[in-house]
Amino acid sequence: MATNGKEQRTRAERHQEVGHKGLQLGKESQHLLESDALYQYILEISVYPREPEPMKELRVLTAKHPRNLMATSADEGQFLNMLLKLINAKNTMEIGVYTGYSLLATALALPDDGKILAMDINRENYELGLPIIQKAGLAHKIEFREGPALPILDELMQDEKNYGSYDFIFVDADKDSYLNYHKRLIELVKVGGVIGYDNTLWKGSMVAPPDAPFEKYVWAYKDFVMELNKALAVDPRIEICMLPIGDGITLCRRIK
Amino acid sequence: MASKGEEQQTQAGRHQEVGHKSLLQSDALYQYILETSVYPREPEPMKELRELTAKHPWNIMTTSADEGQFLNMLLKLINAKNTMEIGVYTGYSLLATALALPDDGKILAMDINKENYELGLPIIQKAGVAHKIDFKEGPALPVLDQLVQDEKNHGSYDFIFVDADKDNYLNYHKRLIELVKVGGIIGYDNTLWNGSVVAPPDAPLRKYVRYYRDFVLELNKALAVDPRIEICMLPVGDGITLCRRVK
Repeated sequence: MATNGKEQRTRAERHQEVGHKGLQLGKESQHLLESDALYQYILEISVYPREPEPMKELRVLTAKHPRNLMATSADEGQFLNMLLKLINAKNTMEIGVYTGYSLLATALALPDDGKILAMDINRENYELGLPIIQKAGLAHKIEFREGPALPILDELMQDEKNYGSYDFIFVDADKDSYLNYHKRLIELVKVGGVIGYDNTLWKGSMVAPPDAPFEKYVWAYKDFVMELNKALAVDPRIEICMLPIGDGITLCRRIK
Repeated sequence: MASKGEEQQTQAGRHQEVGHKSLLQSDALYQYILETSVYPREPEPMKELRELTAKHPWNIMTTSADEGQFLNMLLKLINAKNTMEIGVYTGYSLLATALALPDDGKILAMDINKENYELGLPIIQKAGVAHKIDFKEGPALPVLDQLVQDEKNHGSYDFIFVDADKDNYLNYHKRLIELVKVGGIIGYDNTLWNGSVVAPPDAPLRKYVRYYRDFVLELNKALAVDPRIEICMLPVGDGITLCRRVK
């Protein structure tokens, strides 16, 4: 790491700085922290020892799946679980399920008569994790619907009874649709309720140099994420908080 | 500007100036969060207090703006009404709390230094929330012991925020776990201690960072195995550990 003037840094060192302390920028890491070591510390001290057995089982199973980069990280699962308990959530929604880690974290947090409407375009992945959710005795809380979310949301919007009926909504899906989801979700979540948008810090790509070695898909969606962040920041119907957990979650508390 | 020696120290756990350091992969990312979502939303009194505090010599002690925003949201989400704060400094987190509580909300705030609190108090008063605050000058332990003696105080707090002397956190915890309600939260601040919790043994840490690091490590281990709480270590600010009392 260069200790002399900024002007003398090489390109490699500039990259190092954006993800400094041994963190390789562009490498598929599940965190935004200053070092892998710090992230590991958090996981080993406070997350893994506390992780419920079904969640561990699902995480280990998912790790073998080819698309496991989509999975919710363990620290994020723990946070969601705590948040849901803190707000006494009972009726929730999830857009983007994959194998169901955040879904399971949610189901474990809700009371026995809690309900989750879960949507994903891919039922197969959900069915990979379902046996574990069933074994945990929680599958009865989940209503899974396969397919894109927008038509389902539009359907919900047609009945005024659904307005303000959700305590918590978690969106972890196609980034280019988040703002379209938001238009509907802001009506469906209750005043005082929370919408959580996942991946809003998008690996830190919005502040990385243009030659940073991110995967194509990261660059492809970066502008959508930045646009979302700007829009949420000025939306007067919500109060927001961008948390650097996982790849960034923006909590939006509806106030009107 | 920092000399070479100080720059090396910077890498290894020195708390930098307000608004500069976070636990994130880059200052640029942290600035992005602040500029996109924190500063534009920061209530005017908080902004005023933050700027006033930035001129104070001990300003590294202050709660950062992103942390203040998070605390404010958390308190609203849990409908907190009766809270406690150990460690006030000029009152940034105290103000964030006061703004979140309902008009009849109450905060018992303790600090060994009343002067710093009085620096920020006019701003809190102007914001119309000073009536929620009961400030007690002095070390917290005697006050806590007094509270614990009366059973009526057991389980009477919705939220307790500890941002004080790290070598006493575990002593505070012994009392706070009785005073916070079941389902309520204790938040311990600075539990990632500028990232020094994972610094190699030969890293050039500042004396106070190194001194308190052992206490922070011990605290983190103790909270992790405490069966009366569920925990979550959040990398906000310098690390906050949220402890939700379950029994």
